[in-house]
Amino acid sequence: MKNLVNLLDEEVVNLVREENVEYFAELISRYQDKLLRYSGNILNDDQKAQDAVQESFIKAFINLNSFNVNKKFSSWIYRIVHNETMNLISKYKKQIALDENVDIENGINIEEEMIKKEMIEHTCSCLRQLPNIYAEPLALYYLEDKKYEEISFILRLPIGTIGTRINRAKILMKKICQKIK
Amino acid sequence: MSKNKINITEEVMLKINKGVVKMKPKWMFVVGTIAMILGLVGAYILSSFLVSIISFSLRNHGPMREYRLQELLASFPFWAVGLAIVGLVLGIILLRKFEFSYKKNFWFIILAFIAAIIISGWLADYFGIEKIWSKQGKMHRLYQQYGGNRNKVLPWKSKGGYVIEREIGRMRKNGYNGY
Repeated sequence: MKNLVNLLDEEVVNLVREENVEYFAELISRYQDKLLRYSGNILNDDQKAQDAVQESFIKAFINLNSFNVNKKFSSWIYRIVHNETMNLISKYKKQIALDENVDIENGINIEEEMIKKEMIEHTCSCLRQLPNIYAEPLALYYLEDKKYEEISFILRLPIGTIGTRINRAKILMKKICQKIK
Repeated sequence: MSKNKINITEEVMLKINKGVVKMKPKWMFVVGTIAMILGLVGAYILSSFLVSIISFSLRNHGPMREYRLQELLASFPFWAVGLAIVGLVLGIILLRKFEFSYKKNFWFIILAFIAAIIISGWLADYFGIEKIWSKQGKMHRLYQQYGGNRNKVLPWKSKGGYVIEREIGRMRKNGYNGY
């Protein structure tokens, strides 16, 4: 097995196609956490997000030969996860189940941890209340550090629309967060 | 999260190694792309051709057409309108699959596509391309059928008309003068 750590995603894709399918595991490990977070933010259900991400990796592998290596693999895999997440939403008609199982670790900084967790929960609950058309670009821009062009590719929307939606999402998010407080 | 990480990697790789999940060969995507382009071009040509038939059918009724609305409705190719719409919808579905479609406003692309079909169908009729088609085989029958009075088979020259004419001739021969 080659050392894949220093290789670009697109180079790993080439190796998977031409040399060894086992290298696909490297791509999974590079992206699964980010994709689970992205899908989880939209679905609001970790188990479903896991299903979506797993199914997305399977679809990505099946269609790996259709991927253009001159483009970014990250945008492509996010696009697949986005589609899969949307499919799950329409399948389950967006059953919102707030997961309140907060697993607090034992330690001295329990209070600090709790404040941090509360803040994260608070931000996530604000995000969850946003309609999907605003929550998705906002999550991709701020949580996943994606550029407008990449978000445009993932959501299949013009760049101008992405900018407008992010701006509106920020205004909405502010209103929702203030209301919740 | 780390537990999930192991599960997803393991489960996906297990399916790959067992052969449950297989990578599609490259030629399939090449064929798919060619079929998509041909489908789009085909939908465009079909819709333009049908628009030209509709335009031809309307034009051939001449200046008195308002007095012949019933005749127009009777010979109007409604099937062509339906098929043109099907072609349009197919074209739009295929357009969505092309990568450029999301970069621009998709409504603008749809409107441009519809406008292009209507304009090219009308141009085909205006510049008389349908005259070339209307002289050939199946196209000839189509244009004859939907071409209004100019191309319509006159009733007294139809098969039934000839039979009546022959019968009248025979009756006159036998001394029948109509009274």
